[in-house]
Amino acid sequence: MKKIIDALPLVVFALLIIVLFSFLSDKDDQLETALIDSSFPDFNLGALSDESRLLTKRDIIKLPALINVWATWCIACRVEHPFLMKLKEESRLTIYGLNYKDNKFKALELLERDGNPFEFSIYDFEGRLAIDLGVYGAPETFFIDKNGLIRERHVGVIDERVWEEKFSKYLNE
Amino acid sequence: MIPEFGHLILIVHLILSLLGGTLPLLAVYGNYRSLEISLKKLSFMLFILITISFLSLIYSFLVDDFSVAYVAQNSNINLPVYYKLAATWGAHEGSLVLWILAMNAWLIGFIFFTHSKDKDFLSTVFSISCQVIFAFSLFTLFTSNPFERILPIPPLNGADLNPSLQDFAFTVHPPLLYFGYSGLLIPFAIAVAAILFKKDTREWASYSRPWTLLSCSFLTLGIALGSWWAYYELGWGGWWFWDPVENAAFVPWLLSVALFHSLITSQNRGVFGKWSILLSIFAFATSLLGTFLVRSGILTSVHAFALDPERGVFLLAILAFFVIGSLFIYSITDFGHVEENKYELTSKEFGFLLNNLLLVVLAISILFGTIFPLIYEAFTGGKQISVGAPYFEIILFPFALALGLLQGVALYLSWGKSSSFDFLPRLLIESLSIFSLIILILFVLFDNLYLSSFATIFLASWILMGTLQITKKRNLSYWNFLRKRLAVTFAHAGMAILIIGVGVVSSYSLEKEIILAPGDSTEFSDQTINFQSIDDLLGPNYTSKSAVVSFDDGGELSNIVTEKRTYLPSGQITTEAGIQADLFKDLYVSIGDNLQSNIWSFKVQIKPFIRWIWLGALLIAIGSFLAGVRQFKRR
Amino acid sequence: MKECGKKNFLNILMNKPFLFLLFIIFSLQVSVEEGQVNFDNDAYPFTSEIKESLFYSLLNELRCPKCQSSNLAGSNSPISNDLKREVYELVVEGKSSKQIKDHLVDRYGNFIIYNPPIEPATYALWFGPFILILLSALLIILVRKRII
Repeated sequence: MKKIIDALPLVVFALLIIVLFSFLSDKDDQLETALIDSSFPDFNLGALSDESRLLTKRDIIKLPALINVWATWCIACRVEHPFLMKLKEESRLTIYGLNYKDNKFKALELLERDGNPFEFSIYDFEGRLAIDLGVYGAPETFFIDKNGLIRERHVGVIDERVWEEKFSKYLNE
Repeated sequence: MIPEFGHLILIVHLILSLLGGTLPLLAVYGNYRSLEISLKKLSFMLFILITISFLSLIYSFLVDDFSVAYVAQNSNINLPVYYKLAATWGAHEGSLVLWILAMNAWLIGFIFFTHSKDKDFLSTVFSISCQVIFAFSLFTLFTSNPFERILPIPPLNGADLNPSLQDFAFTVHPPLLYFGYSGLLIPFAIAVAAILFKKDTREWASYSRPWTLLSCSFLTLGIALGSWWAYYELGWGGWWFWDPVENAAFVPWLLSVALFHSLITSQNRGVFGKWSILLSIFAFATSLLGTFLVRSGILTSVHAFALDPERGVFLLAILAFFVIGSLFIYSITDFGHVEENKYELTSKEFGFLLNNLLLVVLAISILFGTIFPLIYEAFTGGKQISVGAPYFEIILFPFALALGLLQGVALYLSWGKSSSFDFLPRLLIESLSIFSLIILILFVLFDNLYLSSFATIFLASWILMGTLQITKKRNLSYWNFLRKRLAVTFAHAGMAILIIGVGVVSSYSLEKEIILAPGDSTEFSDQTINFQSIDDLLGPNYTSKSAVVSFDDGGELSNIVTEKRTYLPSGQITTEAGIQADLFKDLYVSIGDNLQSNIWSFKVQIKPFIRWIWLGALLIAIGSFLAGVRQFKRR
Repeated sequence: MKECGKKNFLNILMNKPFLFLLFIIFSLQVSVEEGQVNFDNDAYPFTSEIKESLFYSLLNELRCPKCQSSNLAGSNSPISNDLKREVYELVVEGKSSKQIKDHLVDRYGNFIIYNPPIEPATYALWFGPFILILLSALLIILVRKRII
C-alpha cells in the first residue's frame, strides 16, 4: 500500500504529460458550430444590390447551398473569391453571400470587377444575421442541405482541399 | 560582432553548465575525487558568462542592430532607450536568457550562503541545478536563439516592441516573475538531493526554506505588478482575469506558499519530510508547466508569446525528464524509518497540514480548470467551452474562507498540542469590532452597504486580529512581540489587507459606458463627469488622441487624462486609461470609440479600495522576503 | 437640461443620415420608444438600475469570440460591440440573465460564456475540487488511524 502511494505522484504526473503531449500534436483551430443540424435562422434584411428589396429565409430556395460570409475589408475573402467563382461556373451548387459589416458601394464595385459568384448577397451592415449564425468574422462558409438545415461550417478561406474534405460529401447525399 | 560574441558565450555557458551538471556527480558517485571542482568558482563563472551574453543582447538592442532577428522583431529606431533596454526581455527568446541568468544567480546565492559540512550533498544540489540550467540553455540555443541574424540584407528598421508592453510596470514585472519562477529551482534540487542522500528532514528543510521564501516573495511582487499593469493598461479596469497566463503564475505561487509552511514544520519538528519533498518537486514542475502552457500555444491568451509547437515539445521534454525522473527516484526510494513526532488535532502541525491540503487542492483545481477546455474538447469531439472568472471565483471562495479562518487562529497554535482555546472568544470579539468599524467606514465613504462583501471583510478582520494578537497574554511588551515576528506579521496582515481590497472592490465597483462631446457633462454616481477637451499629441513613437475628463464630486475636481495611442511602426492602437488613484477609491476613465466628429464614447469606473490589493501583496512580499533573509541570519 | 441635451443629440443623428450611419457602425444606436428610454449621455441607457447592473454584469461574464482571451467589457472590437448591442436589446426587452445567456449559447456555443454549464461532461470540473478535498481528508484520517 505504501509503495502504491509513493508511486501515485509519478503516475499522475506521467499521465498529465501524456495528455499535454496529445494536445500539442492535434491542435485544430476550427471553432465549434452551435447551429449544426438546425435550420437556417430567420432574418429580414435588404439585398446588397438593392436595399429596398427585403430578403428573408424563404428567399434561400435553391438548395443545397453555400452561405458565404464576406466583406471588402477582409483580405482572405479575396483569396477565396476565385474558388467561389469556380464553384459557380461548374454549377456545383448555389452560393448565397452574406455581406458582413461592409461598405455597400465598395462591395458592389468588387462584385462588378471580380465577378459575382452569389445568387444574391444579403446586406448585413449591423451584423445581426451574423450573430444569429454565430459568425466570428469573415470569411466563413456554411453548408445548407436540401432540407434547409445547416450541416457544416468552415472558418477561414475555402479552397478545393477544404471543399473536398468538408463539403463535397454533403452534396452527394 | 557583438551578437556572435554573445552567441559564442552562450555556447560556452552551455558546455560549462553541462560540466557542472556531470563532474560533481561523478566525483560523488563514481568516487573520482580528482574531478572535484570548486563549486563557488564554477557557479561564479557560469553567472559571469550568462551575464556577458545577456549584456551583449542588451547592447544589440541599444545600438539598433536590426540584423539580429530578435531585435528586429521587438525594437525600433524610435523606441525610447528605456524600452529598448526592456525589450531585451520583452519576448520569448530574450526572456529565456534572463530566466537562465536568474537561475544562475540563485545558484550562486545557494552555493555562497549554504553552510553545510556535507560537501557531497552540496555538490549534488549544484549538479542538479546545473542540469536544469543546461536544459534551458539547450532549449534557448536550439529553438529560441536570440542572436540569430537576418543576413545578408538586414531590415532598415525593426517591427517595434508590442505597444502594450511599452510601460513601466511591464519592464519590471517579467524579471521579478522570472526570478520567482527560477528560484523554485533551488528547493527542487535540494529535494532531489535529499531523496538521494536520504537526508535528515530537519537539515534539508533548513537549507531549502530561505530560497522558497525568497522565490515566493519575488513571485508575489511579479504577480502583483502584472495585475496592476493589466488594470491600467488593458483599459477595462479589471485587476485579475483568471487568464491562463495569470493562472500559470498563481499556481506556483500557491505551491510555494504551501511549501514554505510545510518546510517550517519539517525544520522544527522533523515531520512532513516526504510531503515537503513532493511539494518542492511540484512547485518547480508547475513553474515549468506554466511556461509550457503559455509558450507552446496550446492555450490561447491575451499575453501572447510567439507560439511554436516545436518549443512546446522541447519544454514538455524538459519537464518530463526532470519531474518524472525525480518522482521516479522518489517512488523507488525506501526512506526507512522516518522520525515521528506525535501531534494532536489541535497542534500547529495539524494546522499546517490543513493549510497545505487546502492550498494544494486549490492549486490543482486551478490548474485543472485552466486546461479543462482542452480536455472537454477532446472528450466531446470538438465542442468548446470557456472556463473563466465566474467559475474560478466560485471555486476559490470556499477555499479562501477555510484558509482565512485557519490563518486567523494559526499563530495561536502550539507545536504538538494547543493546550487552550480561550483566545477564540477574544479573537471573535476583536475581529467583530474591526469588522463593524470597516463596515461603518465603508458606509460613511460610499453611502451604501453590500451584504456580498460582509464575508470577505469579516475574514480579513479575523486574519488581521489573529495576526496582531493584541489581547494575547504575554511577557514581552507588545511592540517587542511584534518586532520579533515582523515577517509573519507583515505577510499575514498583508493578506488581510489584500482580502479587504478584493471584498470591497468586487462589491462596490461602479462602471458605465457614456457618450460625450467636448463640453458635455453627465452624472455618474455622486460624480459629475465633464469631457473638457481632446487634443492631438505626438509621442516619441506614437500619435495620440488625448482627452481630458474631469470628475467633480461637489468638493474636489480631478482632471484625468486618457489617451488613445496609435503606435507608428506597427499601427497598433492602445488605450491608456486615466486614473486618479487614491487609498480609498480610484476614479478611472478610458476612452472608447470616436463616434462622430468629436463625439467620443468613454468608460468610466469607480474602483474603491483597489489599491489595497496591491498594498497587501506588497506587504506579503516584504514579509516573505524578511522571513527568507532572517533564515540566513539564524545560521 | 438633461432632456434638452438628449433631444439635441438625437436630432443631430436623425437629421443627418450619414452621421446616423456612422453611429450605427459603432453599434451604439439606441432604439427610442415613446419615452421608454431615458437618454442622457449613457451609451447604453436603461430605465431601471436592475437592468443596468444586469447588463454590465453580463458584459463581464460573456467572452469576446474574436479576441484570444477577453470578456465583452474588455473589448472594443466590432464583434464585441455587436454583441454588446445584442445583449443590450435583450436586457431592454426584459429578458433574464439565463435567457440571454441561452440565446447566445444557442448561436455561439458554450464558448461564449465564461461560466461553464453543469452537465455530465463538466462534473469533473465542478465537483472535482471538492471530491479531492474529501479524498485527501480521508487519506489524512487513514494515516492518523495508522490504517496505511
